[in-house]
Amino acid sequence: MSKILRVNMTDLTAKFESVPEKYNLLGGRALTSSITCDEVPPTCHPLGPSNKLTFSTGIVTGTNAPTSGRISVGAKAPLTGTIKEANSGGMAPQKLARLGIKAIIVEGQPKKPGKFWLLKVDKDGAKLLPADSFTGKGLYQTYPLLFKEFGDKVAIIGIGTAGERLMSSAGICINDPENRPARYAGRGGLGAVMGSKGLKAIILDDAGGPGVTIANKELFDIGRKKLVAALQKNDLTKPGGALNTYGTAVLINVINEAGALPTRNFREGRFEGASSISGETLNENCKTRGGAGMTGHGCSPGCIIKCSNVYPNPDGTELVSVQEYESIWAFGANCGIDSLEVTGELIHMCNDFGVDTIEAGVTIGVAMEAGLADFGDSKKTIELMNEIGQGTPLGHILGNGAAVTARTFGVVRCPTVKGQAMPAYEPRAIKGIGIIYATTTMGADHTAGYTIAPEILGVSDDIDQFKTDKAALARHFQNVTAYILDSSGHCLFIAFAILDDPSGLEGVVEECNGVLGTKWTLDDMVKLGSDIVKKERAFNTAAGFTPADDRLPEFMSYEKLPPHNVTFDVPDEELDKVHHA
Amino acid sequence: MGSETTEMIEVHLYGKLRRYTNNLDPSRDSVIRLPAAEAETIQDIIRQIGIPREELGNNVFLNGEYSDFTRKVKAGDRLGIFPDDMQLLYKWHFNKKEE
Repeated sequence: MSKILRVNMTDLTAKFESVPEKYNLLGGRALTSSITCDEVPPTCHPLGPSNKLTFSTGIVTGTNAPTSGRISVGAKAPLTGTIKEANSGGMAPQKLARLGIKAIIVEGQPKKPGKFWLLKVDKDGAKLLPADSFTGKGLYQTYPLLFKEFGDKVAIIGIGTAGERLMSSAGICINDPENRPARYAGRGGLGAVMGSKGLKAIILDDAGGPGVTIANKELFDIGRKKLVAALQKNDLTKPGGALNTYGTAVLINVINEAGALPTRNFREGRFEGASSISGETLNENCKTRGGAGMTGHGCSPGCIIKCSNVYPNPDGTELVSVQEYESIWAFGANCGIDSLEVTGELIHMCNDFGVDTIEAGVTIGVAMEAGLADFGDSKKTIELMNEIGQGTPLGHILGNGAAVTARTFGVVRCPTVKGQAMPAYEPRAIKGIGIIYATTTMGADHTAGYTIAPEILGVSDDIDQFKTDKAALARHFQNVTAYILDSSGHCLFIAFAILDDPSGLEGVVEECNGVLGTKWTLDDMVKLGSDIVKKERAFNTAAGFTPADDRLPEFMSYEKLPPHNVTFDVPDEELDKVHHA
Repeated sequence: MGSETTEMIEVHLYGKLRRYTNNLDPSRDSVIRLPAAEAETIQDIIRQIGIPREELGNNVFLNGEYSDFTRKVKAGDRLGIFPDDMQLLYKWHFNKKEE
């Protein structure tokens, strides 16, 4: 029987509870957001004792469903003040699921600040251990020490020094299959919430664990096969397909060609140096440099898509894993830097300090806007990032993200929504993503409703990238994302395959029904997604958010973005219709 | 009396289509400039370059707009063409920006 692990950091206890009936059919984001809504006072301070940090794997995670090694992490976010779900792959999700644990809830706060603990979970139970010898160091030092202590078969969910220092750009790190500190539930500053709980890391050892119960194996297998077929057929997701060959950075050239690659802190939509930071160049360097470099790297076992990579130095030694689209863009085009060697070094720094690459890159762009460095100045960028790593006063400003940095230096061109930095798609050039940024429950977030897929990638029905009447579409995609992707346990990227292949989508529904023993239809699942989004909206409303917060930054309404020379002209009423149709 | 560039169409090619240009290095732009007078549509340009249909995805951008191959082109336009193995588009459907 699946259970919930409740960890109280005030009295340092870890106890297992049975799963309340209302949570029985929930997983991933559906469960983390339900627990946050049920147990966290919306007006609490995100770093105070009343906030709770919840980890939950998806419904099919831990089974052999393809591309399903995902975990949701939820809390009230320090970066945004909203409810938050951040999602990651890596080695922890499947191990947590196979331990028969539906969720871990971390609550309370140690009486003595500055003291950190490890949570060790295995088949025999859970206990808290002192983390004293593992704090204050970069994660490239800390993770090997932890694996030495606990064995290299465990999975680690941990925070870096940014999380220890309670910075709002701190993410939560999960090791990849080669045990690098490389995968992140990055957004919203959940690493700071974990830090505020005095929890340095969770160590998961699933040896001898009960595994995941599948109620109807036959149905599950039918669904799994359909999804596998859809993923293997789709040109984006198939082995040797675009994501597998070039990584997510395949998007650099495409979005640049579409005039929607935010450049130099969202001043322009096209970067003249895009080619040199593209997925093609990444692939070429991995091939020609030999050694450690590879594309087609999987971030978790059982993934068909394998969009990750290991990027090599010119001499073939490993620079970093992973150079991913958003990260390359954030430090590349967004900072005017046209070198994968430099973006790789900066991503390595983010992984080491434990900060979100998107927030960090956009913050540096804002800092450049403020005159702390020139656009394109790699050396200065690295120095600024080091301030975060060292925890200097300037480092604390930068480490608290783009909005705090912009306010500190009086920067008006601040590309954030609800305090969270925008990712790598310009909302003036792709209006639909702008509507999503404005109206998600999470702040500017490209993963909350993947309108990018149909608009730019041409998946599913044709949709005009400049049309503004998209409220219904935005709502629908947010609902679909909330359940079918974020709660089933599948990676967001299966969207490319299933949105245009009815059989693949059917497969996901059947997999979930197979695991849970339910008889859901697709409509039921979209309805469940809609219920989650409504719940999250209610949390935010109770936390003080109004429709006036569902807006893009004002500068986008009066600054024309080249090359299309367009502003964000979606009327406020249209934005308000997304959730109030 | 326009300058040479304004009478030309600038075509950016990606992936394996770079071989139709004189630059194979993916870290630099692979660009061909064609006289605008000799092409009416995107299709004409593709024919002129000599790209066979099977090497193409439907991932074509005219001045940054995702476009149908039948769209008209004119001097000063920028066209971006991606190959089938950078196939970002699931199927052939050219009815985004049409004439």
